[in-house]
Amino acid sequence: MFNVGYRIVNNEAEAEDVLQEAFISAFRSLEHYRGDASFGAWLKRIVINKAINVIKQRRTEPLPEEDFDVADDGWDEKEFPFSVEQVRTAIEALPDGYRSVLSLYLLEGYDHAEIAGILGISESTSKSQFNRSKKKLRELLEGGPS
Amino acid sequence: MKNGLNEFVNRNRDEFDSRVPADRVWNRISFSMGFGFSWWNNVALWRAAAVLMMGLSLFLFLTRTGHEPGPALTQQDFGDVELFYKAQISEKVALIHDAGDLADDSFTQDLQKLEAMYTVLHDEMKRHPSEKVKDALVLNMIVRIDLLNQQIQKLEESAREKDIPATI
Repeated sequence: MFNVGYRIVNNEAEAEDVLQEAFISAFRSLEHYRGDASFGAWLKRIVINKAINVIKQRRTEPLPEEDFDVADDGWDEKEFPFSVEQVRTAIEALPDGYRSVLSLYLLEGYDHAEIAGILGISESTSKSQFNRSKKKLRELLEGGPS
Repeated sequence: MKNGLNEFVNRNRDEFDSRVPADRVWNRISFSMGFGFSWWNNVALWRAAAVLMMGLSLFLFLTRTGHEPGPALTQQDFGDVELFYKAQISEKVALIHDAGDLADDSFTQDLQKLEAMYTVLHDEMKRHPSEKVKDALVLNMIVRIDLLNQQIQKLEESAREKDIPATI
């Protein structure tokens, strides 16, 4: 859960606060857990919501709003010469909005409809932001324009 | 093929979860909850608790809607619930003892940890009664009942297997 929060807020102290708030909030809201998802998924969603609130409060960069298509800029499997550490560092260098969408899709396993619900954006915006974030990630990994 | 990144992440997914929160975080959480000990990072107990959350929700729903309306259990209600669950626990422990088999170490250890937690929570309830401690006590008893049920089921299955004659 700590990693889930960290990937969104990108700051250790804030991730610790997110974890603490989420666990306490979950404990105090046990009666709201209806069992329609696993307890872990319910708790993870609380962590994500708390983390999203943190980056919203930063107000340095709005969460994604635009909604136009960007072509997938993926790599061929054989052309992926980077290490986990390099990818993790590049993800951490992404702006808040890109990093959130990319992390939620790629690492937390949410689909674009779910991400749209979490971030309060449209599904197509989630898709286009994901493709943009991959493009930006590629630039960071390959040392291209920042 | 345009899914190189996705496939790379899927293949190495666990390595992306390498950060571990400092112990102080769990201590802060325990402190904030009003508990003097840290059990939040006990994976086995969380797993057991997760299985029982649905039961707890149902329990809370029934107790909060079936009787007088109110935000939580009254002290009397809680006393009744505690008596009921304690009787259930004693009955199931006796059943397992009668079966003469308490060899499952993980079961025994989990049950002992839960009993220790219960004792601490009970003391906390006496010193600083609150809804969250009450809820934790109820959850603790439900988790123990589930563990006992699992053990009884194992014993029953084991007994059934012994009764079935070998066939070939």
